[in-house]
Amino acid sequence: MRMSTLFILVTSACVIICGLLPLHARQRQGKDKATLLANAELVKKLQLTDLCLFTEARYTRHPAMADRHAPFQDHPLALEHFPSGSLVTPPHFHREGP
Amino acid sequence: MTVIELIHVTKCFNAGKLNQLTAVQDVSCAIETQRVTVLKGPSGSGKTTLLTLIGCMARPTSGRIMMRGFGTASVPGWEEAEEVEITSLPERFLTGIRRTTFGFIFQHFSLVRGITVLENVMLPAYPTGEGHGAIRTRALELLEMFSITRHASARVDLLSGGEIQRVAIARALINNPSIIIADEPTAHLDSRLSQEFMAIIGSLKSEGKTILIASHDPLVYDSPLADTVVEMRDGRFTDIGTAT
Amino acid sequence: MNRFLERHRNIIDFALSSLLRRKAKNISLLLVYTLIVFMVASTIFFMQALKREAALVLKEAPDIVVQRMIAGRHDLISVSYGEKIGAIRGVGEVRPRLWGYYYDPVNGVNYTLMAPFSQQPAAGSIIIGSGVARISRLSKGDFMVLRNFDGRPTLLKVERILPYSSELIAADLIIMTESDFRTFFAFPEGHATDLALTVGNRNEFTTIAAKIVQQFPDTRPILKSEILRTYDSVFDWRGGMVVVMLGVAGLSFLIFAWDKATGLSAEERKEIGILKSIGWETADVLLLKSWEGVIISLSAFLSGVILAYCHVFFFSAPLFAHALKGWAVLYPQFRLTPVINAYQLAVLFFLTVVPYSAATIIPSWWTATVDPDAAMRS
Repeated sequence: MRMSTLFILVTSACVIICGLLPLHARQRQGKDKATLLANAELVKKLQLTDLCLFTEARYTRHPAMADRHAPFQDHPLALEHFPSGSLVTPPHFHREGP
Repeated sequence: MTVIELIHVTKCFNAGKLNQLTAVQDVSCAIETQRVTVLKGPSGSGKTTLLTLIGCMARPTSGRIMMRGFGTASVPGWEEAEEVEITSLPERFLTGIRRTTFGFIFQHFSLVRGITVLENVMLPAYPTGEGHGAIRTRALELLEMFSITRHASARVDLLSGGEIQRVAIARALINNPSIIIADEPTAHLDSRLSQEFMAIIGSLKSEGKTILIASHDPLVYDSPLADTVVEMRDGRFTDIGTAT
Repeated sequence: MNRFLERHRNIIDFALSSLLRRKAKNISLLLVYTLIVFMVASTIFFMQALKREAALVLKEAPDIVVQRMIAGRHDLISVSYGEKIGAIRGVGEVRPRLWGYYYDPVNGVNYTLMAPFSQQPAAGSIIIGSGVARISRLSKGDFMVLRNFDGRPTLLKVERILPYSSELIAADLIIMTESDFRTFFAFPEGHATDLALTVGNRNEFTTIAAKIVQQFPDTRPILKSEILRTYDSVFDWRGGMVVVMLGVAGLSFLIFAWDKATGLSAEERKEIGILKSIGWETADVLLLKSWEGVIISLSAFLSGVILAYCHVFFFSAPLFAHALKGWAVLYPQFRLTPVINAYQLAVLFFLTVVPYSAATIIPSWWTATVDPDAAMRS
């Protein structure tokens, strides 16, 4: 087989697979919808405000609730000690308060 | 019939600078079709430059080059019998003519290392858009003609001098050119291989091809096959002889 | 048309054979390139999926959460605030929220303890998240030992374990009754961690928040939109993790392009000279070079994206788990729902395929324009 034929075939196959990915995504979204709704319901019942992603520290566990002080809990010049802190930045709020 | 005519052609490199060189000086001649013409002369005489001018590889600084019959068909709008002034054609047409009319055999053979013999022979035809299968068939036929079919899938680096020479000739023929141009083809070959080369030239001539060779090898210019021997020195023609 | 296609195919043939000639170099180039695309695409997929999940799930978060601040720090809020806030027009329900953190020294884990308004277990019992159950190896009916504010151990029976599918929101939760919570933490009566408000009209959120701050200057209302925006920005292009990834990818890319763009080797130049002399035009040579670039970059892009998709959505991104986990002991196990953001992938495509192909063509430009008679001369 000509090399270019092989290349064109493989590349076309990959392009087709890439084209099918959105279809797969949509199918999975449909399947997972029930779980998503159940989780939303749980959030409503428990009145949760954050995802449970970073359980290292308080301000990483509840980034939406965190105040500016939380990362500097030990000392005003305390440097970040938790790795997650570098991933989660302090939130921006409309009103800073006094 | 005259197929290529040079009229007062001059080629000057680096004009106006310190290293100005006039390689070809006021050359006028006519190349006959289906004949073997040999350009004889020492190195530095301008043979290579003249070949590049005739073969549409470069443009002369002054003068005209006319072409008849062959190659004109590749220029849209021109008819077979008409005369074309190559020097006035735009680059695109020049390349088209060069590709379809001329086949080149270089002094160092200039084959691409690392690819097979077959691919080397097919290479000049790749950009033409011709079908791969057709090119391949023709290439194999050419290899057959020169008895090197068994080397078709071999890497070029592994061949002997004579075999490389034959691959180079096969490559020059892939686009069915009507004019073959060879620049010092026997420079790196021994006598036996040189004579083999001339024999191949003879068979090509009998097939109706026009052949132009630049050489300072007596085996070439004294060969009975040479119809016209033109002597060059310092960019000028010193003697235009016709072998008997 | 046929001629046009054949021309390209012939040139692709030669481009492939050229690339295969320097097999080791080109294969390692392809692998590294694919790796870069894989990492960036994985990050994109992961972040987008989390973003979507967060947005859809946190839609049901409280409309406004009112915190009290002392000396700029989050402090307990008096329930009496809640009564007065409830009187503001537009505010529906006001529910005090009781929640806090508990550190378990045995396993080195942080748990979130809460006593929600609804879904409370029986007294002396707890409902735990599936992550808690996993770490402390508890099942329904087992007892969990927690040390209260005094340091004394408290025995709590596991009444129920939250479903595995809720790990992303509730993996580390320990839910108890309000009285158990207050006893455990010696949480003062009449106070709560913060207040959760329900507001009828969405357009009134900002006005109500302003009124709250006016009435109680020591409070900080947090709107649902701000909660959602926090997560949007964590999972954004500019988010920490993505920036790191992009930075690494960008640097590696520069190294590639530099290697390519600093010119051709003598052998490559000679080859171009030969091609020109046997009848290839400048355009043909440039087409060859661009196909060489496209072959590598396109293959790397396609395989990188496909592998990234499988990595994130079939295997739940094990390579990222470590980075996200950080020093946490409890990391939620979850399978993300696939999301494809065509725009970001298109940007990735143009950032990978185009510069690389350009870096391959440009150095060849000068050499490709060499006169064909140069080969005769050499």
